[in-house]
Amino acid sequence: MRLVIARCQVDYVGRLTAHLPMAPRLLLVKADGSVSIHADDRAYKPLNWMSPPCWLTEEPGVWTVRNKADESLVITIDEVLHDSSHELGVDPGLVKDGVEAHLQELLAAHPETFGEGFSLVRREYMTAIGPVDLLCRDAAGAHFAVEVKRRGEIDGVEQLTRYLELMNRDPLLGPVVGVFAAQQIKPQARTLAEDRGIRCLTVDYDALRGMDSKDLRLF
Amino acid sequence: MKFRVERDVLADAAAWVARSLPARPPVPVLGGVLIDAGAEGDRLTVSGFDYETSARVELDATIGDPGRLLVSGRLLADITRALPNKPVDLVVDGSRATINCGSSRFSLPTMPVEDYPQLPGMPQRAGAVDAAELAGAVAQVAVAAGRDDTLPMLTGIRLEIEGTRLTLAATDRFRLAVRELDWQPEDASGSTAVLIPAKTLSDVAKTLAGAGSVEIALSAGDGMLGLTGGGRRATTRLLDAEFPRFRQLIPAEHTTAAELQVSHLVEAIKRVSLVADRVAQIRMEFGEDGLRLAAGGEDVGSAEEELPCTLDGTPLTIAFNPGYLLDALGALHTEKAQLTFTTPNRPALVRPVLPPAEGEDTTPPASGYLHLLMPVRLPG
Repeated sequence: MRLVIARCQVDYVGRLTAHLPMAPRLLLVKADGSVSIHADDRAYKPLNWMSPPCWLTEEPGVWTVRNKADESLVITIDEVLHDSSHELGVDPGLVKDGVEAHLQELLAAHPETFGEGFSLVRREYMTAIGPVDLLCRDAAGAHFAVEVKRRGEIDGVEQLTRYLELMNRDPLLGPVVGVFAAQQIKPQARTLAEDRGIRCLTVDYDALRGMDSKDLRLF
Repeated sequence: MKFRVERDVLADAAAWVARSLPARPPVPVLGGVLIDAGAEGDRLTVSGFDYETSARVELDATIGDPGRLLVSGRLLADITRALPNKPVDLVVDGSRATINCGSSRFSLPTMPVEDYPQLPGMPQRAGAVDAAELAGAVAQVAVAAGRDDTLPMLTGIRLEIEGTRLTLAATDRFRLAVRELDWQPEDASGSTAVLIPAKTLSDVAKTLAGAGSVEIALSAGDGMLGLTGGGRRATTRLLDAEFPRFRQLIPAEHTTAAELQVSHLVEAIKRVSLVADRVAQIRMEFGEDGLRLAAGGEDVGSAEEELPCTLDGTPLTIAFNPGYLLDALGALHTEKAQLTFTTPNRPALVRPVLPPAEGEDTTPPASGYLHLLMPVRLPG
């Protein structure tokens, strides 16, 4: 990642032409070759940019970024105020505040959320096609496979269905009933799950982690 | 199959039955309504069932040819609503149903009747209640029911039967509504309690309101409730959940009691709460010289209004969610209301006050209905 702060003028020549008059701006040159020009506002949105694949040629006072369609971004630099490069490495990706993993952990600690007499067999129960979030047993000893999601959508139900099909082939385990647990379940997902005999359970994350809202309540 | 029926009668029946159909039927036949033209008499039944709730209407028709028909409920309801006000002729020929009314003609595909689930039988008759009174009582209680599936027991209305007394109750943890009414039970010493999905019960009670008398049928064992009246019957599965012990929540004593004109208070709350949208609270300052309502703050703007009120006890300042307060006042159906309080952090009791009887100055609050409302925290 190379950061350059410079007084520059930008001209885009291609299907659409654009012109940014001379002003101080931030130029980002990323490892994938992309170049973007940012002003000191609008968060993630650059004023102008060129997506990869594209190639940067630097000449004194003029940078030219060209792409396959032979469009070009011409940056005329008047004065460089800052120029630094940093090696960032591979990004670990966005983790949506870890709610899903935490929900799984909390439900594993409170299997009675699924019903009285429920106990946990194990978390991340391994099947041939991947791990099921939770495997539980009810008071009578019947097995339940639980898929935990933050938002319950159709693909979550499909995922659970695949696990259930595989698990029900195991004579030591079956019959295995599915439970689809989420903070919020979409109506389509609920219909599909119930049609397949999968129980839907909306879980209260705040109650599970013992965080009460500040609102006054009757009980 | 062939019959002729009045357009209004058919439209009402189709609309009511189609209301209880699932929005996204997992099997196409479950989105259908079953029309049964009986062999004997000129009775036509329109029914629907989705394994949770069922609805069935009987209506008068001139039946040419008996038979059974399954068509899309939503389509039938939309079509019959839009038809001109003339007799409707319906003829089934092969796999198409033709609807003729005046000069308009519709042809609908039919679905196989054999694939449709059998409607559940009516549970054991438990007693009868005045239809309008039941509808009113259910509406008064249903406002307090929860709409969040996370706590299924709060999405229901609890129905308690104790001899000739019915008690309905619902709560969403912020408010609790309780209504008592009389009924004519089959067994005067019977006592039971069930939990009914609030949305279904209020829909059904509302449609049966004009029926004169509603019969309640109950089977706690099968988890089923049935309501019958005016040629219509509906069943619903009961909720299998524990309802909170609500009676212990109702405060027995109070330190402040205020009596107010409901309509004046409602209007004032609506005005003042215009500036309360962000903070969602309205402050009520009860003093010797009346009630002062206030809402808002520095940034959005603020509003104030004074109202006369009869105060008994110590002055107090308390804050509420204006929407909840309006729900409570709207459910009273009386000119005057009594509000009682203990402290600004404890629940307030809202009760209807009936007009005084001839020769008396005041009356105590009516005992049939109460609405318990949790205040919100005062800032600071």
